[in-house]
Amino acid sequence: MNCEVCQLKELEVEHFEIREVLRCILHTIVFHRALGLVRPKDVDLELFEITYVQCGDVELEKKIDEKIDQFISWVEKHPNKKSQICLSFYEVKSKQPSWFTNKTERLYWEQWYANLNVTQQPKQHSSKSHLTKVVVDPGESANEERSSRRAMVEASLREVLFQIIKFVNEKKDHVPPISEGVIYFPYEITMPRFRVRNGHDQEDAPQRASNHAQLIIGLGKLIQLG
Amino acid sequence: MEMDRESGKLEQIVSQFRSKILHVVLDSRVPSLHRHQQQDSLSLSRVRKTDKWFNLVLGDRPPALENLNFSLRNLLDPMVIDIILVRHASCSSSVDNLYSPSAAAAAAGPSTETVIERWVVQYDCPRVFASPSGADASVSYKKIYKKCILLLRSLYTQMRLLPAYRIFRQLSSLNQTYNFDIVYKVSSFSHPFSREEEDGMKEYSFAPVEALPGCLCVSVTYHATLSDFNLEPLVSLPPKIITDYVGSPTTDPMRSFPSSERGAHATSFPFRGLRPPSSAPFQRPHSWSSGFHRGIPPTKTQSLAGSPPVYRTSPKPYDITSPPTDLYGNRIQNHRVSILQQATAYDEYKLSPPFSPSASPSTPTYLSGANPLLTRHCSETAPVTIPLPPTGRSNRYLSPNSSDPSRHSLPPLSPRSSKHDTSSQESPSGIRSYRKIEALRAGESPSGLSNLYSAPKVVRDSKDDSGRFSGLLSSSGSPRIGFSRSSSRLSFQDDMDDCEFSCPFDVDDVDVSDSSSQNTENKRSSEFTAQSNLVGKKSQDAAVGILVHMLRTAPPLRQDSSCYSTRSLRAEYEGGVGIASGFFMPRKTADALEELNSYREMKDLLLSKSGTQVRKEGMK
Repeated sequence: MNCEVCQLKELEVEHFEIREVLRCILHTIVFHRALGLVRPKDVDLELFEITYVQCGDVELEKKIDEKIDQFISWVEKHPNKKSQICLSFYEVKSKQPSWFTNKTERLYWEQWYANLNVTQQPKQHSSKSHLTKVVVDPGESANEERSSRRAMVEASLREVLFQIIKFVNEKKDHVPPISEGVIYFPYEITMPRFRVRNGHDQEDAPQRASNHAQLIIGLGKLIQLG
Repeated sequence: MEMDRESGKLEQIVSQFRSKILHVVLDSRVPSLHRHQQQDSLSLSRVRKTDKWFNLVLGDRPPALENLNFSLRNLLDPMVIDIILVRHASCSSSVDNLYSPSAAAAAAGPSTETVIERWVVQYDCPRVFASPSGADASVSYKKIYKKCILLLRSLYTQMRLLPAYRIFRQLSSLNQTYNFDIVYKVSSFSHPFSREEEDGMKEYSFAPVEALPGCLCVSVTYHATLSDFNLEPLVSLPPKIITDYVGSPTTDPMRSFPSSERGAHATSFPFRGLRPPSSAPFQRPHSWSSGFHRGIPPTKTQSLAGSPPVYRTSPKPYDITSPPTDLYGNRIQNHRVSILQQATAYDEYKLSPPFSPSASPSTPTYLSGANPLLTRHCSETAPVTIPLPPTGRSNRYLSPNSSDPSRHSLPPLSPRSSKHDTSSQESPSGIRSYRKIEALRAGESPSGLSNLYSAPKVVRDSKDDSGRFSGLLSSSGSPRIGFSRSSSRLSFQDDMDDCEFSCPFDVDDVDVSDSSSQNTENKRSSEFTAQSNLVGKKSQDAAVGILVHMLRTAPPLRQDSSCYSTRSLRAEYEGGVGIASGFFMPRKTADALEELNSYREMKDLLLSKSGTQVRKEGMK
């Protein structure tokens, strides 16, 4: 089975916008991959006039928020860098048991890359707050500039969401069959530039994706660096 | 036979798919369907049979949808859903519009209808086909079903990204009425758009779902932008200061008020359930609404009185668009429940007894008024004159004593008197500033108490936006015979502990006669009128609060006002009377109960001294 990869359009965001933007993107993707019985939950973004849909699973929401926190911490340590968060869906296949291995294998069948370019220094107090606004001298021109920038980010985010919808619609064959009682496919959220392993940040920690996916990711990194 | 069963499955999938899409589209575009559906929490949590289709729980299907399903039985015909924007011709704003926007809008002039979205769902099927059979069919239907699920997910998401969703949300908002509406039309054919209409429209087609022998196609044509349609909220009446509301010395308290009166800065005591002077109900945003700061200028001090009571006799469309009242209504209920829980402890404490200095320095008890008064929220009583707060206010109204064990936390005060709070500390919320103004502390000092007890007057403010009642204290400040009165305590949040403020109200005994009869209320009104004349520069808010509190704490707690007044007077003469109704501070229920008990003891002590036994009648 091919692993379909979708590179989402890069978004230029400020630090305080990261949480909302990532929540929107990740939840939208998961909603399209939560093919079990869901009660959709509409969520209005506070910074933008966009409503996205969650699948309503509390555990999922918590997990996504944790990953976003990790991402924000990483961004704070590596400011002004292009960053990426990867949402992968996989199937669990049991390997042929042998004397050496009795593991299960993850076969990734889809990967989504959300690309963010965080443009400002993170505020010290805003690591957990997604509502912190950038405090600037409130001149008239600064306000106008801020609102036009905000409108641009909103338009870009809307484009990303349309991109997700388009991808979901065009590629359906690779989606595994729905298991009874399972709400969403097994997934994994990683930060390819900065692996997280065992709960601790590790530079260049080995990735756990399949070889095929690793190749794709490597190519993706090259493209971004170029 | 097996083919029939398989083809039946396909037909079922296609039929349910169309129904589901129709449900999603109408749910996200037509607000009127939501209004007609009263879904309680139980129904929301229930998963219906229709919800299980395509694993998307949407709730009850609108009744209209069932009818439409019936009329669009032929699955080979397309299902065309037109979302139509109906723009009403602009008309002058009036209260009538607010009461019945749709009727007013319809009567205002010709309306323009524009199709802003057209959804087309079609099962494209060739005339000659071969349906799958055997195991292939089963796998095939599972795949079809899975792809339908995916399509529906993306359609659901896209509904919220298209421009029409914004105006749907605006219309769904209960806070505002607009000059437009959204309706829908479902048919099996579509009138093609004119060239003019097509300009500015975009099209998006979802990837077809192969459902052999045909395929399911969903597409949407939509207006890329709706900014050209001049969609705007209906002009609401500008804020207006009511100068001739009930209780104004310049106004006959019994005058009738025009039904069309509506002011954004009204002071009202709707929770009293006062009968409106006019038969037509009207309402104003209440001063305790969130963020509402009533801007009554100081010149209105002399006319401090409650606004004409807001009393809604029957639900009207305007009800939906007046959140303060709705909120108020809800709050009344909520508060009634919470107060009732405490009220049982205070049932016997109908009269606020005179207090001796030896009484514990706790806030006066205005507890017994809670239950019966609250139960009279919806009763109708005559408007009463709001007494002006007394001038004898002094440093009695320091910040509430946080160390008072008998305090209990009651809901915060209303934000009404924020404008008059010149000496209170700044606080993050307007509500807190109000509370600071109105917080009174009982038992501040013996000297203070005697002053207060001269004519304590307690009023209760109306609910604040947090849904709890708050109380205000006012005092006539006059040396006249006071009547201690039980009433609900003021409520303060604990964060008010340290604030210093000059409360516009003095705490005096208030003659709260049996409010079950209009005569006693009028008597009280007149007394308050007399007292009000003694008030100097007290805020209108305070006066309103006084009236409110007075009404709330009016008997039946107190059956024998004369006896009560006698007792109060005697107690005053005895010179060591603590003020029951003087001060307010944040309290908990336990504190209030404790204070109640202390007051009871004081009362018994005084009664025993005076040798008068007050019969407790109708206390419960």
